[in-house]
Amino acid sequence: MGPGEALGEVDATVGIPPAVTEETEAVWSAAREGRLLAERCRSCGAAWFPPRGMCRSCHSRSTEAFEVTGRGRVYSFTVNHQRWLPGLAVPFALVLVEFPAHPGVRVFGRLRGCAPEATRIDMEVEVGFQPGPGGFAIPSFVACAEEAGP
Amino acid sequence: MSTEHLERRVVISGVGQSRIGRRLEASGFQLTLDAVAAAVADAGLGIDDIDGLAMFPGGGVANVPGYGGAGLYEVQDALGITTRWREGRVEGLSLPFYGAAQAVASGEARHAVVYRTVKEGSAARAAGGRPAYGSTKAEAEGPLAWLLPVGALSPVCQVAPYATRYMHEYGATREQLAWIPLVERAHAARNPDAVYTEPLTLDDYLGARMISTPMCLYDCDVPADGSTAIVVSAVETAPDLRAPVRVESMAGVIDGRPSWDQWEDMGRVGYATADAMWARTDLGPGDVDVAQLYDGFTIEVVWWLEALGFCATGEAGPFVEGGARIALGGALPLNTWGGQLSGGRLHAAFGHTAEAVRQLRGEAGERQVPDAEVAVVTNVGGYEAGAALLTRW
Repeated sequence: MGPGEALGEVDATVGIPPAVTEETEAVWSAAREGRLLAERCRSCGAAWFPPRGMCRSCHSRSTEAFEVTGRGRVYSFTVNHQRWLPGLAVPFALVLVEFPAHPGVRVFGRLRGCAPEATRIDMEVEVGFQPGPGGFAIPSFVACAEEAGP
Repeated sequence: MSTEHLERRVVISGVGQSRIGRRLEASGFQLTLDAVAAAVADAGLGIDDIDGLAMFPGGGVANVPGYGGAGLYEVQDALGITTRWREGRVEGLSLPFYGAAQAVASGEARHAVVYRTVKEGSAARAAGGRPAYGSTKAEAEGPLAWLLPVGALSPVCQVAPYATRYMHEYGATREQLAWIPLVERAHAARNPDAVYTEPLTLDDYLGARMISTPMCLYDCDVPADGSTAIVVSAVETAPDLRAPVRVESMAGVIDGRPSWDQWEDMGRVGYATADAMWARTDLGPGDVDVAQLYDGFTIEVVWWLEALGFCATGEAGPFVEGGARIALGGALPLNTWGGQLSGGRLHAAFGHTAEAVRQLRGEAGERQVPDAEVAVVTNVGGYEAGAALLTRW
């Protein structure tokens, strides 16, 4: 664990940055401010990630970005041990997070706040970000304290 | 009405492979020409008979070093042929011979060759390890934009959560699923072209290093060098062919969100494709004599065993445990060439298709399944799923 890093956190700046598109620019900009944006339908209320500009449920074109708030829950995960690129810091946990308050939204990111091997399905996490490749902020969820265990 | 399906109008007439190994000195282009020439001869045809040509994946920058083998136009030029149909299919679209089957069934081409060439073995050696998927490009595009930047830098990390979820939901254990790579290694020992042939034990498996939990080294296929070519011919040309194999049914349905991270139910994969394949035939799971199921990772075999109905959902662990059912001599011999886990990552079910054809012809040597009449072949799973049933002529 380096200075200022949470339990389980390793440097994430070595990697491949995203190609930013007109659809995803707002997501990556908000990430730099520590906010997680998803998209929802103004007509039927369905929500999803990443933004598409059309409702996946009712096909309305009336969609809007919204900030995902509240705790998420780990749908599944993996702990990566392999150094896929020179200088990549390992191990680290990767989690697929869903949000009880926003059905339909699932976001892939890293996990901090617990040892990688303590990651579990259904554990609760808070939204967070950490510096990623190319100066982008990447989703990096934080294990809730009561989940992290002793 | 099932005789109206387009795949009944075609046969797989030839399969051919270059040398296959961890690292070969020959270029991907030369390996491709070796494979194409071998496949055409295997069909009983001459190169001048070929009028359709397809590469897989299509052109453009490959996502990993050693991933693209040889360009379509250069290969056509080397062969000196006239083509009436060409295709560079986007990576992951069902089974790679579907396009050729569609072209031949529609009359656009009479004898079409589709090839897949990899030099990932050499590339991994050169990089000091298996390189990140997408490392040939400066930025992660499309669905990869949500995978690579967060650190899911390989298909291993992208598929591993499916295994985690599957084991969580159904209670399958690593000790059970280990029998998939173990049995495949035993089969590879009977395949002189396989990359790894020395025996693999349960202790070896459980002691292997983790790549991305719960997947260890032996759950991941072996980067290799080699090329495979498949010839698809019109069924009416059968009298001119050496040993054609029928395509009984084929399907590729995407019923979940088409991105590795967004697939809704990671415990159930491939069902829509499997159901569509069975809907195009009167045959059923009990008729299958040999299974060539895509095995980029162990968990992909699990998906197909369950989706195709060889065992119930969640039952693949007990089904494969001990290995007897899936070994040669068992009820469902699996990946008799060693699969990609031991035979080599020839990718996109090209190795699996070549082996299915050999089995149905009775040309599989020491690993022949006696009287094999029906073989199933699958590709990947999830949003890249394809499944086909091949039958003896």
